[in-house]
Amino acid sequence: MADNKHHSALPVYLLTGTFLLILCIAVCIGILIKPYEKAQTYLNILFMDQSMKIAPSSGLNGLVIKENEIETTPVSDIPEDEQHFYDNGEIIRPAFGEQYAVLKCDDISLSVPVYWGSSTELLERGACQASSSAVIGETGNVVIDAHVNTFFADLDKLEPGNIIVLYTNYGIFTYEVSEKISFLNTNKKYVLPTEDNRLTLYTCEAQVLGTSDNRIGAVCTLVSKQFYQPAEGANP
Amino acid sequence: MTKLKLYIPKLILTFLLVFLCIGTGISFLVQHSFLTYKAFETVTNQQNLDEKAYSALESYFKSRANSTGIPAEVYLDAITQEDMKQGILSSISEAVEHMHSHIGDGYVITMDFTKLETSVMNFFNQYADTNNIQKDEIFNQKVQANLEEAEAKILYTADTFRFGTIYEHGWFDKIQTFLNLFQKLMIVLCILTAVILLCLILCCKSRFSELFYWLGLTGTISGLLISAPCLYLLRTDYFSGFVVKDVQIFSAVTGYLQYITKQTGIAFVIIGVTGVIFLILFGLIQKISHTNQTTAE
Repeated sequence: MADNKHHSALPVYLLTGTFLLILCIAVCIGILIKPYEKAQTYLNILFMDQSMKIAPSSGLNGLVIKENEIETTPVSDIPEDEQHFYDNGEIIRPAFGEQYAVLKCDDISLSVPVYWGSSTELLERGACQASSSAVIGETGNVVIDAHVNTFFADLDKLEPGNIIVLYTNYGIFTYEVSEKISFLNTNKKYVLPTEDNRLTLYTCEAQVLGTSDNRIGAVCTLVSKQFYQPAEGANP
Repeated sequence: MTKLKLYIPKLILTFLLVFLCIGTGISFLVQHSFLTYKAFETVTNQQNLDEKAYSALESYFKSRANSTGIPAEVYLDAITQEDMKQGILSSISEAVEHMHSHIGDGYVITMDFTKLETSVMNFFNQYADTNNIQKDEIFNQKVQANLEEAEAKILYTADTFRFGTIYEHGWFDKIQTFLNLFQKLMIVLCILTAVILLCLILCCKSRFSELFYWLGLTGTISGLLISAPCLYLLRTDYFSGFVVKDVQIFSAVTGYLQYITKQTGIAFVIIGVTGVIFLILFGLIQKISHTNQTTAE
């Protein structure tokens, strides 16, 4: 009789435990659902990087740098029968941290890789293009900058009329220096988007006594666009 | 019928005790573990924040040399990793004091910049001598501005937990109010827990062994409710999704979040295990009493 009693109590104990656990979970969900909904936006912003999760120990602070092989043979050196260029073509939008162009200027012996986006790590590797500016080939202001003590050391030697060529994997873009510029770093006049096709190059003014607030550079106008692949309906 | 009459109150008391146990546990952890100097110091050591802050500084001054021409060594030879650690610990101690008591206005990280001042002055003087630059008022102003800029950057880098930002936004006062509230809340929760525990003991007076069962349930459920989400957060490495990727800030923030999650998880795993032990004890007592009963019959 006692044995039966003992066994009959076991399911009650088990059921009580399970019921209490479910009840507590339900209450917790009920209590926390509202605050969680309110906090969700902030949590999503704070921990939005779940897809990348790149350990910052790499020293790149989560930045993915991609180097590309870019053909930099001048158009004049390409045999005429191989020159298949188009006025309008397909632009390949780069990812942040991707090297997508090579900037060359024979007049000042300049050849520098151009990265999309700007950061300390990228500036150590080449010139950087502000991701708020126009992609090379698009209508607008293509703004490129680099350090004065490295890649753009001779930028002040540019003179109006000098030719600058930007080589990308989708085309070759030639510009001519039209104006030498000097401006304060707080002045955004030269880096703002424009409606015409232009290239703006700038760097810090060399100064040893602290960081210079002055920027020097050049504004260049587009001479030619030569795409490797045609845009839909474009003629060679 | 009598049994059912007592079963419902015991169920309700246990249900209340679960939440009181969670509340008391969390209040205790917030008061005595999360916002203490020791917690932040442990994270600093675990995450090697001094090393990370120093390499961030190294990278900054090296990159800055590209635009100013001042060699990074001018700054880096005058600041060591040990100095950075002192800076980080100073920021922690200042922040903890602000959190726990009103210590007047200002959030100040103490660091010794004597070596840095000498190094920068020597460099500029040497440069001026070599290049025949006049050491006039403008020269002194430029040197001073450069020094102040470097000091500000070093202090900013040493503030790995971003206490400076917290102070600027006036959150230390809010944390202090919150801590005072938790202190009172913990006393109230402890009293309530004692009262409910007493009620439960009274309810189990006729069959005292059942107290182990209800206490076991309380411990197991509260342990499960808190340690399971903690385990989930740690297993999925949720905090690594933190968007600020500056190495020293990333390590400080994620390290601290992991630390408090681990502490909470461990505390509630202990509560859960204690609950399970109570349940096992209850089972054993039941078995022994059943055997004795059978033998007597």
